[in-house]
Amino acid sequence: MTGLATDLAFWTFAVAAAWFGWRVFRTDSMVRATFCLLASFLNVGAIMVLLLAEYLGVAMFFMMGVEMVVMAIFMVAFMMNPAGLNPMQMVHQPRAAVAVGIGAATGLAVVAAVADLPPAALLDEAGTIRALGNELMGSSMLLMEVVGVTLVATMVGAVVLSSASGRYGRADTGSVPPLLDPDDPDSRPDLASADGQDDAHAGHGGHGGHGGHG
Amino acid sequence: MTGELAAPHPVLGAVVVLGVLLIGAAVVTTADAVVADRVAGRGLGLRTSLVRPWRRIALALVRPQPVTERPDWGLWVLAPATYVGMAALAVSVLPLGTDWAVADVRTGIVVLGSAEVLAMVAVFLHGWAPNSPLALVGAYRFVAAGLSFLLLSMFVLIAAALPAESMSLGRIVASQQEGVWNVLRQPLGMPLFLVVALSVSLHGPLDMADGTELATGTVAESSGPARLAWEFGRRAMLTAYALATAVVFLAGPTGPVLPGWVWLAVKAIAVAVVLVWCGHRLGRIGIERYVRLAWTVLLPLSFLHLAIAGVAALA
Repeated sequence: MTGLATDLAFWTFAVAAAWFGWRVFRTDSMVRATFCLLASFLNVGAIMVLLLAEYLGVAMFFMMGVEMVVMAIFMVAFMMNPAGLNPMQMVHQPRAAVAVGIGAATGLAVVAAVADLPPAALLDEAGTIRALGNELMGSSMLLMEVVGVTLVATMVGAVVLSSASGRYGRADTGSVPPLLDPDDPDSRPDLASADGQDDAHAGHGGHGGHGGHG
Repeated sequence: MTGELAAPHPVLGAVVVLGVLLIGAAVVTTADAVVADRVAGRGLGLRTSLVRPWRRIALALVRPQPVTERPDWGLWVLAPATYVGMAALAVSVLPLGTDWAVADVRTGIVVLGSAEVLAMVAVFLHGWAPNSPLALVGAYRFVAAGLSFLLLSMFVLIAAALPAESMSLGRIVASQQEGVWNVLRQPLGMPLFLVVALSVSLHGPLDMADGTELATGTVAESSGPARLAWEFGRRAMLTAYALATAVVFLAGPTGPVLPGWVWLAVKAIAVAVVLVWCGHRLGRIGIERYVRLAWTVLLPLSFLHLAIAGVAALA
């Protein structure tokens, strides 16, 4: 690409990244906020591709895509307002956040303006990158492998814990309470009648999914 | 930034990608009608198989779009466009002739994976935007399916990159020209990738977002041109993944006498017909069973597949 086209592309992506970043806090929905954040990250990824960090930029699309989808689902699932779908404020402690944000942006701008940055890529004359690679893949290999296997075990454990088979039976067939006395098959507590008593006290509030009530 | 294959001018490249998707969607639509008639025992009729789908498309154009309560219009319009855009992104990194691709980038398979992930985002938002229960259920279902098949696709593509010693799809084709096609060299890869192709293009037994038991799920509230755009997107995505399957496992544009793009078209159409046929012959699978199957059977199979490919690459 020619210089002008690269400059135009850079400024387009940069402005879009900042604008979507701002929209994250102005929207009233968790899902919109999450995907505004994704749009911001995608624009940053595009800037990285422009800077010839091709793999890092494209990996950003890939990883942020999955990450933001998972985040949206979890936030909707665990929000205290019903399913996170009601309009809500996206900011906490806005005054402190504004102060910190302005401070950080000013600091970075000062660094960018004052620092003596090299105009082009530098050769790694001291061999730092090579040394780092040797360290990671050489003497620290065992440590890295142990960390890797631990992470995999954690992921498998998380999947097992969240999978359909729980101790109350399979999640998709309805859960059954455990026996009070393991040897007596008749000792299973009757949740339906217990709920019925609750209803009598609570005046039939909030048990929409129940059969047996007229 | 680019790999070894020549690239046309960007404007020409965009026209080529759009043309491939339009022709591919037309081919998939025709193949779908023909296979449906074969399966129903109606035989091949010009009127039934070739005219009927286009009549339905023309009818869809004049239907009005219903209005739901407080939809997110922006996302509702953007989602089909993003989905088509991701199909276009996937096609752009594939070698379409023996010596050219629209953009044979070094990170080809990562771009392909990114297209898949962002297609998942598009499907989710398409179900979320109308603010309607069945569409939202379809959207959540697709995310559950998506998180399962994305890993599958990643391992299969990494395994294909190992013998090529490159993530560029041009190099992956070249490695198959030098050795054996991946469909034979990595026998588990193609069936696993076809699962991904059906899932991401919302087709047949693995259509988790737009199933009929959800009154067509994410498209339950779409009609008229909006519905047509989404249906085009699904067929464009199937085209992109049929082409990707042909490139990664059937050596893409490789073949004697005829020009490369003809061979690629022949292979991709064969893959597309197989995928469409699956849609008409295999029963739909419930999301719980799909996720269980993906995590307990298909994912371990893809690990095994990657391990075998790794050992073979070292040998």
